Amino acid sequence: MTPLQFEAAHSAAWNELEAALGALPKGRRAAPADRARIATLYRAACEHLALAEARAYPVWLIERLEALTARGHQRIYRESDFGIDKLRRLFLVDFPAAVRSHWRHVLIAFIAFAAPLVVTGVAAYADPGFVLSVHDARAVDEYEKMYGDVDGPLGRRSAGSDWEAFGFYVYNNVRIAFQCFAGGLLFGVGSLFFLVANGTMAGSIAGYVTWRGFGPNFYSFVVTHSAFELTGIVLAGASGLILGGALLAPGRRSRLAALADAARRAIVIVYGMTAMFLVAAVIEAFWSSARWVPPDAKFAVGGLCWVAVLAYFALQGRSRAAAATPS
Amino acid sequence: MTAPQETPRRLDTRYAAETPEGISLALRPAGVVPRFYAYIVDLGVRLVVFIGATIFLAQLGRFGGGLMLLLLFLLEWLYPVVFELGPGAATPGKRMVGLAVVMDSGLPVTPAASLTRNLLRAADLLPSFYALGALAMLWRHDFKRIGDLAAGTLVVHIDRSGTHGAAPPPAPARAPAVPLPAAAQAAIVAWAGRVPRLTEARADELAEIAVAVVAPRALRGDRVAALIGVAHWLLGRR
Repeated sequence: MTPLQFEAAHSAAWNELEAALGALPKGRRAAPADRARIATLYRAACEHLALAEARAYPVWLIERLEALTARGHQRIYRESDFGIDKLRRLFLVDFPAAVRSHWRHVLIAFIAFAAPLVVTGVAAYADPGFVLSVHDARAVDEYEKMYGDVDGPLGRRSAGSDWEAFGFYVYNNVRIAFQCFAGGLLFGVGSLFFLVANGTMAGSIAGYVTWRGFGPNFYSFVVTHSAFELTGIVLAGASGLILGGALLAPGRRSRLAALADAARRAIVIVYGMTAMFLVAAVIEAFWSSARWVPPDAKFAVGGLCWVAVLAYFALQGRSRAAAATPS
Repeated sequence: MTAPQETPRRLDTRYAAETPEGISLALRPAGVVPRFYAYIVDLGVRLVVFIGATIFLAQLGRFGGGLMLLLLFLLEWLYPVVFELGPGAATPGKRMVGLAVVMDSGLPVTPAASLTRNLLRAADLLPSFYALGALAMLWRHDFKRIGDLAAGTLVVHIDRSGTHGAAPPPAPARAPAVPLPAAAQAAIVAWAGRVPRLTEARADELAEIAVAVVAPRALRGDRVAALIGVAHWLLGRR
C-alpha cells in the first residue's frame, strides 16, 4: 500500500476525529455515544500511526497522526474526578492515614521541634537574660507589650484589625510551612533547620513571658490555635523529611525514583497541614486575640481543640484506610 | 527515521512517552530560555494584578490590608497551580510562549503534581535567582527543574515545528531502477519535501548521491526533477 492510498483510505476517519476533538471545548463532557466514537477513532489512529512509522511513510503523514493521537490522548486520559468527593476522602481518610503511616518522620520532626522548645523555654524561665541571646532587645520589648496587661488585642505587635492579622498569618505562616516542605530537598537539612529555629524562638519567648508573670495572658492566647499551628509545623517538617529521607536512603531504587514516590506521599500531608494552618490563622486572628473572652473559656475551648486534633490523627479513617489498602 | 531503535543516541531533545496503545507520543521539552521568558511574563502579570488590587484595596483601610496579604499569598503560591489545572495546562506566560505542563508519561498534569512542582519552587529558587533550578535544567536532556523531578512533570512546547515533511513539488512520476528498502524510500520522500527550502546547488548535490542508484540514466540530465519524480512514484502517483 502506498502512502497516498493509505491516506486516501483513512483520512475520513482522521478528519472525523479531528472535528470531534475540536468541537468540544476542553473540560466540557461529550455525550456517551460521542465518547465511545472518539475512543474508537482514537484507537484506529494509534494503529495507523504505528503502521505509518513501521512502513516509513512520509513525515507529513506521521506528524499529522502524531498531532492527532497526542490530542486524543490528552482528551481521553484527562482525570475529571477531583471534586468534592475526593476532598472529603482526603480529610476523612487519606490525610490522617498518611500521617500515621509516616509516624517515624513525624516523630523525628516532633523531637526536632519540641526539644529546643522545652530546652530554651526552661533556660529562658531560669535565666531571663537568656532570651536576649535568641531575640534582640527590641523584639523582646514588643513581646512584653503583646502579652502584657495593656489595652488592645492580645498577641499583636500593632493594633491592627483582625482581618489584617489574618492576612498576615496566612501569608507568613503558610509560606514558612511551604518552605519547610521544600527545604526537605536539601537532604532534610532545610526542614530540620526550620523546625529547630521555630522551636527555639517559640520556646525562649514562652519561658521569658512566663517568668515576667504574663503566663495567663500568653497561654490563653496560644492554647487554641496552637492545637493546629504547632501540629501543623511538625507535619510541615515531617513532609519535608519524607523527601529528604528518600534522597538519603532511597533503598533499591534510584534517588530520583525514590524522590518522585516520596513526593506523591508527602503531598497528601502538605494538603492537610495547609488546611491546619488556615484554621490556625482564623482562630489566631479572631478568637485568640480577643480580650473579651475570659481566659478560662479559652483554656476550655483550646483543650477541646487539642483533644480533637490528637484524636483525629490517632483514630480518623482507620477502618476505611485499612479497607482501601489490603496488605 | 522516526523509529527510536534506529537512532540510539539522538542529538535532539525529543522525549518519547509510550502510551497504553503502544504508540509513543513525541514531546518536545522546553529549555531554560523559553521558560525564563514565560516566567518574566508571569511575573509581570502578577505585578499588574497586585498593583491594580492594591489601588482598589487601599480604599478599604485595614480590612483591605488583610486582603492584600491574602492576595499576595495566593499570587505567590497558587497562581501557577490554578492555571496549570485549567484548560491549556499553562500559566498566561507559558501560553504566550507556547508551553504547557504535562506529566512525564504524556498524561494531563494532575492536581497533586501541579501543587508539588510549584511548592518545591522554593527549593529551585535557592540560593538565589533560580540558580539550583536552572542548573538542574541544564543538567538534563528533558529540562526538568527539581520541582519537576519530584512531581514527575514536564514542560513542553505545544506547537509543532512545521519545517519538516512538506509534500514534494510537482514533477512527472518515475519508477526507481532498483527496489528500495523502506528507510531509503523515506529518505528520498523527505528530501523531496525539503527541495523548496534548499538552494539549487545543494538540492542537486544531494540528488546526485541517490540518482546514481535509483535512476542512473538521468545522471546527466535534471537530477533534481528525476529524483522528485521518484519520490512521487514512491508516494503512489504512478
